[in-house]
Amino acid sequence: MSTTSTTATEPVVRMTGITIEFPGVKALDGVDLTLRPGEVHALMGENGAGKSTLIKALTGVYRIDAGEITVADVGRRFDGPADAQDAGVSTVYQEVNLAPNLSVAENIMLGHEVRLGPFVNWPATRRAARTHLARLGLDLDPMSMLGSHSIAIQQLCAIARAMVVDAKVLILDEPTSSLDKAEVAQLFDVMRQLRADGVAILFVSHFLDQIYEITDRLTVLRNGRLVGEYLTAELPRLELVSKMVGRASEDLADIEKAARRTTTHDLEGRQPVLQALGLGRDGTVEPFDLELYEGEIVGVAGLLGSGRTEVARLLYGADRADHGTLTVRGAAVRSATPLGSLQRGVALASEDRKKEGIIGDLTVRENIALAMQAERGAWRKVPAKELDATVARYIEALSIHPANPDALIRNLSGGNQQKVLLARWLATAPKLLLLDEPTRGIDVGAKAEIQRLVAELASEGMSVVFISSELEEVLRLSHRVVVMRDRQKVGELTNGPDVTATTVLETIAASGSAS
Amino acid sequence: MTSTQTPAPATTSRRASGGAAGTGRSGGVADVARRWGRRIADRRFLPVAGTLLTLVLILVIGQARYSTDTRSFVNMRLFSNLLVDNSYLLVLAVGMTFVILTGGIDLSVGAVVALVGLVVAKLLIVGVPLPLVLLAGVLVGTVFGLLIGVLVQYFSIQPFIASLAAMFLARGLCNVVSVESLAIEDKGFTDLASWRIKFGHGPSIWYINLSMIVALVVILVAVYLLHYTRFGRTVYGLGAGDGGQAVGLMGLRAARTKVWVYVISGTCAGIAGILFAFYTRSGFNLTGIGMELDAIASVVIGGAMLTGGSGFVLGSVAGVLVYGLIQVLIAREGLDSWWTKVFIGAVLLLFVLLQRALTTGQKRRRKKNRDESPASPPDAAPLPAA
Amino acid sequence: MTGTVATETTTSPSARLRETFTRLSRHGLFWPVVALVVLLLACGIVSPGFLDVTVRDGHLFGQVVDILRQSATPLLLAIGMCLVIATGGIDLSVGAVMAISLAVSLTYIAESGSGTTVATALTGLALGLVVALAIGLFNGFLVTVLGIQPFIATLILMIAGRGIAMLITKGQITTVTSPPFKAIGAGYLFGIPMPVIIAGGVFTLVALLVRGTALGMLLESIGINREASRLAGVKSRNITWFVYALCGLLAGLAGIVYGAPTMAADANNVGLMKELDAIMVVVLGGTKLEGGKFSLAGCVVGALILSTLERAVVIFHLPTQVTPLFKALILIVVCIAGSDRLRARAGLVRRARRTPAAPVEVAA
Repeated sequence: MSTTSTTATEPVVRMTGITIEFPGVKALDGVDLTLRPGEVHALMGENGAGKSTLIKALTGVYRIDAGEITVADVGRRFDGPADAQDAGVSTVYQEVNLAPNLSVAENIMLGHEVRLGPFVNWPATRRAARTHLARLGLDLDPMSMLGSHSIAIQQLCAIARAMVVDAKVLILDEPTSSLDKAEVAQLFDVMRQLRADGVAILFVSHFLDQIYEITDRLTVLRNGRLVGEYLTAELPRLELVSKMVGRASEDLADIEKAARRTTTHDLEGRQPVLQALGLGRDGTVEPFDLELYEGEIVGVAGLLGSGRTEVARLLYGADRADHGTLTVRGAAVRSATPLGSLQRGVALASEDRKKEGIIGDLTVRENIALAMQAERGAWRKVPAKELDATVARYIEALSIHPANPDALIRNLSGGNQQKVLLARWLATAPKLLLLDEPTRGIDVGAKAEIQRLVAELASEGMSVVFISSELEEVLRLSHRVVVMRDRQKVGELTNGPDVTATTVLETIAASGSAS
Repeated sequence: MTSTQTPAPATTSRRASGGAAGTGRSGGVADVARRWGRRIADRRFLPVAGTLLTLVLILVIGQARYSTDTRSFVNMRLFSNLLVDNSYLLVLAVGMTFVILTGGIDLSVGAVVALVGLVVAKLLIVGVPLPLVLLAGVLVGTVFGLLIGVLVQYFSIQPFIASLAAMFLARGLCNVVSVESLAIEDKGFTDLASWRIKFGHGPSIWYINLSMIVALVVILVAVYLLHYTRFGRTVYGLGAGDGGQAVGLMGLRAARTKVWVYVISGTCAGIAGILFAFYTRSGFNLTGIGMELDAIASVVIGGAMLTGGSGFVLGSVAGVLVYGLIQVLIAREGLDSWWTKVFIGAVLLLFVLLQRALTTGQKRRRKKNRDESPASPPDAAPLPAA
Repeated sequence: MTGTVATETTTSPSARLRETFTRLSRHGLFWPVVALVVLLLACGIVSPGFLDVTVRDGHLFGQVVDILRQSATPLLLAIGMCLVIATGGIDLSVGAVMAISLAVSLTYIAESGSGTTVATALTGLALGLVVALAIGLFNGFLVTVLGIQPFIATLILMIAGRGIAMLITKGQITTVTSPPFKAIGAGYLFGIPMPVIIAGGVFTLVALLVRGTALGMLLESIGINREASRLAGVKSRNITWFVYALCGLLAGLAGIVYGAPTMAADANNVGLMKELDAIMVVVLGGTKLEGGKFSLAGCVVGALILSTLERAVVIFHLPTQVTPLFKALILIVVCIAGSDRLRARAGLVRRARRTPAAPVEVAA
């Protein structure tokens, strides 16, 4: 538990009524944030909550449309990150934005080097770097290359750099995503040190255990709006999770009224389509067991960053596993690859459409054909008639609009792009379809269509894994629900009348660590 | 912050992983040796160490094969001749180093050398005073560098294409100045070109001439810029592989720096043009074809990575020396001169393979994931990116 | 969105014309073809009879025919280069490969002693092509298996290749007399110059290969989004290796077609700077250097622009050495016109509402 030192201290940063609009969407709507010196403050929210937008407003990357920012009681309008830095607001980003090919000393001190006439006095600069590192309790060779150290150490160097300018406010954006337990502990030591020195720390993370360990206060955002500011010690986990996900504890009852799939699924004696035993990848997902059966929809629920996507990627072979075994339709798989998986009847629709899905400059037809074609290799083209028929079938079945196979996929709306990608995977006639956030960022109508499609596919015998951040979706469709938290599988629920969103949230929020 | 070391705070002082050089106090010679040993093995220095090793190797081979009882192969005359013959290439390679460090490339330098030679020749024929002519020559290079820098930074054109266009432009302008070779007979110029200090006597006579001194000055200035100024460290930071994002976020002037490296490369091409004119006493529009490749090859052999971010001026200097020595050895061996190109290509291949092996080792250590061959194509652009 | 539904409103003929123009101008080949037409017309104005094609001695004759013949070599180079660039790579060694192929062929013919027979000529040709193919395979190996950056991988052969060519010719300019071999570059088939036939044939074959199989689509896919292609099961290594081999082969053919008329292999000068010309032709044809969608037809237009440009310089009575200036101009104009910044200024690219000093992409 964290030690709270919340005496009535003057806030160092006050953001009030912050509103930021992009064409067509209000990213932030009247959000407040208060940061006090000597306090670790957590900023929490799910996808699209507006966390990163708020931070970008504070660090001068985005301009605000309405509202006020004061730093140390001085009203501020930042023109850029350098401006924010000068005002005493330093940020350490998730991707450590330092130069890995420069030395530790250079990364920490560049911009504030010690000079000797027109020359940089390196010995003195290195000594200064040592001093800053020592302040954080670190002992590194200043001449060593930054890239030769682990990400954890690089992050601490980034923090040291932030402290060179005596930052009043330190923003840590998802700093623990790539750290193991020991490194997290080291980071927290540093944070406690800085807190004791009076720095205001804004800590963005989705790891609940860590939030409860290190932070004093929380601000929760949802859908661009402020849900509230709370003292960490006074907010139970379940309430926190509810506030993030958007269900008041009392409203949960409404979910139970939503149509849900109740099945009597007799799994005794059936051969699983896929069986994972102890499958895991260091630093990404702890080893887990999973069995998937025909005609079954298995939902995967969990907060952002809990490892859901990583599980799917391991099952598909997009990432190489470090531990465990994988058996698909009775045959052991030694080293899964995307092509191999497709040939075995396993397909994965990625979460990140833009980076991992659409081939922007190609047409709808070509995008649909891609995986199908890859299976055949480069030389045997899918016959035009067959392809046209397939494409037309999916355009109709999925209501892809515009119904023009020659349209460039990048000109389609997000929802239609998603449908084209779905068609790509369905065209390979998979036995097991892994869907990672298939309804994210698309309109309500398309969402319903896709959910209906998934149910249909399962009823026809396909095995489906359905990953989604929206609990009601998962509960509506799944026969079973796998629950993930902090990169670990923490539970598996068989869906039924007594399984509600509460149950899932409770499983997520259950404190007490596993291992 | 003062330079005194504050005592370690009350919280547990953790030993960082990798690179901690003890408590940093004097531990005697052994300690220093260990530290330097670790520094050389540091990924940054390994390629250059390789170049120096190659250099030594070539010298040793030469010494073994060509020394007679009366005369050693490795003597001052050898180095003096090397520098006299290759001073222009040294300057070019130094300028190219700046550009390559940021992950860019400059294909125009050969054409600029030719253009500068012609401009100098033409201006001298017309009667412009020598100091102005020399200044104009250098400025021609500077202007071309500025052009490329602006195209790269403000129009987001890839350095390959931008410098290619500049090269075409320079070649075209060469032909506009003169299609035939222009001899330089201006007395002031030829005096400068033939000025030299003599050392030694008899068969072991050796010289220092103006070109060598100019090249040396350029090298020293480059070392100062790259290693003792904020600008230089920003140049390195630009090559970190993220398009200058980190450097920008650190508050260093990324955009301006990127333009400046091309200005520097262009200016060096201007200087090299004058040095080459000293050497040939003429301006000719067909000079310098392929010269930029020699410069690039020297820089790569010198240990710099084309993706940017690592390399040293002194490494490029060593690369030029390797290049020059290979030519010397081939001449001594009585082989036809085009064997040079084959050997340079082979040495280049060797160094590229070594660099690849080094980075693959790094990648494996970071547990990257690809299901293709272990050394899968790098994520970096195939061309030096803007 | 594309595919706008036509509304049934009466539009004035000028508005309809404007709309047709806008839609045409969005086609990738529009501006290159316009440039070519402008060039041809300019030539035709300055030199009456420029566009005339007559039949003389049983074959086609005329300035336009010359332009076609001149464009054969750059086109052959560009076709191979285009495919390599589509994968996001590049091949700088094609000029050197030209020289090597030619040297191999002519040296074989010279030393065979039976230079005038068709068999020898054909064997010489085959040898030259085999060597070129081998170099292409080598380049592909460096890039796809060893993972070396294409720029530097092919730079090695660009440098060493000249030396190798010189080795083969032993420093001399190998000259032979072999009418069958010469016919490859100087002969006519059905009255059309051989180089044009060869280039046209290669273009047709490669176009069929690329669009008749899935090769073209997969190449573009790899070039546009490598990761998405990987996740879709595309194995990029073999495909990429193949196009490097093909590029080498075509470069060898280009060298032989180029040098056959002169029957001389000048290892120093054959193919010099030709790789840069090839890249220019590819870029002019609309293919982007970063890779992705490519256009072989664009290469044809680009090659024609290049050779028309060279011819125009002569017709305008300008010294041929001025050609590089025009090349520079065209390259800069084409690149700036295509550059993002200009398009942004024209309001065609949406930008997030960033503060001016913010770096382009901040991960948060």
